[in-house]
Amino acid sequence: MSELTLIIIRIGFLALLWLFIFIVLYSLRSDLFGPRLTPLQRVAVQSARSRESGAAPAPAAAGADAPTTVTERQGASSASAQATRVVITSGPRSGLELDLPQTGLTIGRSSGSGLQIKDDYTSSNHAKIVRWREQWVVQDLGSTNGTFVEGKRISESTPVQVGSSVRIGTTTFELRR
Amino acid sequence: MSDQTAPSPQAQNALQTGIVQLRDVTEAIRVRIRNPAKLRNLELFLLVIAWVLAGGAMVLVQLGALQRVDLFPLQLAAGLGVLTLALHIVLRIVAREADAIILPVATVLNGLGIAMIYRIDIADGLSGWDAASMRQIAWTGIALLVAIAAIVVVRNHRVLARYRYVAMAIAFILLLLPLMPGIGRTVNGATVWIGVGPLSFQPGELAKIALAIFFAGYLMTARDSLSVVGRKVLGVRFPRLRDLGPILVVWAMCMLVLVFQRDLGTSVLYFGLFLVMIYIATGRRSWMVIGVGLVAVGGVAAYFSLGYVQRRVHAWIHAFDPAVYEAQGGSFQIVQGVFGMGHGGLLGTGLGLGRPDITPYANSDYIIPSLGEELGLTGIVAILGLYLILVSRGVRIGFQGPDDFTKLLGVGLAFVIGLQVFIVVGGVTRLIPLTGLTTPFLAAGGSSLLANWLIVALLLRLSDSVRGRGIV
Repeated sequence: MSELTLIIIRIGFLALLWLFIFIVLYSLRSDLFGPRLTPLQRVAVQSARSRESGAAPAPAAAGADAPTTVTERQGASSASAQATRVVITSGPRSGLELDLPQTGLTIGRSSGSGLQIKDDYTSSNHAKIVRWREQWVVQDLGSTNGTFVEGKRISESTPVQVGSSVRIGTTTFELRR
Repeated sequence: MSDQTAPSPQAQNALQTGIVQLRDVTEAIRVRIRNPAKLRNLELFLLVIAWVLAGGAMVLVQLGALQRVDLFPLQLAAGLGVLTLALHIVLRIVAREADAIILPVATVLNGLGIAMIYRIDIADGLSGWDAASMRQIAWTGIALLVAIAAIVVVRNHRVLARYRYVAMAIAFILLLLPLMPGIGRTVNGATVWIGVGPLSFQPGELAKIALAIFFAGYLMTARDSLSVVGRKVLGVRFPRLRDLGPILVVWAMCMLVLVFQRDLGTSVLYFGLFLVMIYIATGRRSWMVIGVGLVAVGGVAAYFSLGYVQRRVHAWIHAFDPAVYEAQGGSFQIVQGVFGMGHGGLLGTGLGLGRPDITPYANSDYIIPSLGEELGLTGIVAILGLYLILVSRGVRIGFQGPDDFTKLLGVGLAFVIGLQVFIVVGGVTRLIPLTGLTTPFLAAGGSSLLANWLIVALLLRLSDSVRGRGIV
């Protein structure tokens, strides 16, 4: 094998090594820029969103009379219905983001809670966020130290807007889109 | 709206859960069909390039050093390729959402390491089981099998949190094993080996994984008392004296390793691991202040009382002093390594064409200068880039982890690899004093390979549990 071929193979090897690294970095680009959607996916996401806001009142409607639900659906569409995430804004786990499942989220000290808060002020089943009539609603589950929405202790199910703060113990969180 | 109260939680729940569960199930099915193992396909694609790189390195070594292609070592390496493929297939079955980058990157590093060890064997005229490369290939096989077993057996890594004190006990036993008379062995002054017959093993390598599990489990429960209470001095909140207990115990343990096993690198590694994990758990700078202070105290004390630490520092600062260069245990090795890398230049001499074998331990502690000589700066930066990717994936997995244990374990395991690379590469390039640690995946040594592939297995398992959160 000639000298020249060997040099070319050597440099080719280094080039391949770097190519490997760049392929890895390219495949990690969504870490930096967020996932890119193809046009088809974008349509799917949009239709899923509109379907969600249309289908969601169904469980609530089963409990109450239908006509009011229909009128309310139009009025409340700008409310917290689109919230999909819970972001902890202060407290020991500040900065944590969770997905808000359509089923709602239980909050408490017990390990079965959707959002587990471990401090001395939180009861094991403290509160619950549920979807009711196009809105996310916080219910206090008889906690010892209470649940506060916008600084006021709640005694019954209270609707939460996107961006308004909910405090439990030393932890404050809000709903985000 | 305001005059209506919500239906009773129970009734509403029963209805909602039923419907939503149904929706979840159909959604899950749809996602599975629409997204058929995209991550795994990417992994397979990268793995194919990794095989080409590992095999190509070996062929280049043979062309450079032997001027011909010898098929036998290539066949053995191909066997390892099959094992990595097996690991990939196992991931397809039991951890579909695991990170796609880690396995190919580890494969490239491991392959480059084997090629370089093989190259040193050729220069030293070793073959058969005398050759470190044969042993390395065998150990890689064992390590891959253990990694596959770990991924299959540990389906939920959170179970590990329950065994945190067991992990601690295992770590202590592993650390103390080399000091036991009969099985402990002292190699080059460091008592970190155990040996039974011809087999030898460094239990400290596995101890670091057990320690990471213990720290993650312990800090998960103790983080609140460690982070919230304490008094403020100069604007930095310091913890209560009784909360200092664990950090002092770990520090004392590392000092014991330093004094009795005479192993500087390992003690720095363990202490650094603990410091980083406690910082991540509490977010308090005071822990770093305390930790760095303890390291400084320990370092100064070790420098004045332990001869081998003093020699290391001298060989580092006065490396090019002829007296130090020629002294027993002086800077000959460091300087040879630096010369080797200088000889390599930008593009390297080419695999199999340099003289890396002049440096003592060219295939283990000094494998980075060996690779630097033959692949040049271009190659060594690529290798450091691979490590960077590996560590950043681990940190990323920790960052996305849904609970404290996952977060701490992910970052801790990644940090072990990162700190080890820093200590080794910093040592051979004369950034810091040289300490004997293994270069992850590259250096010859079975215990290190086993431990690092176990770390890979754990990181893959962790990344599977943070599924569907937009990795790639």
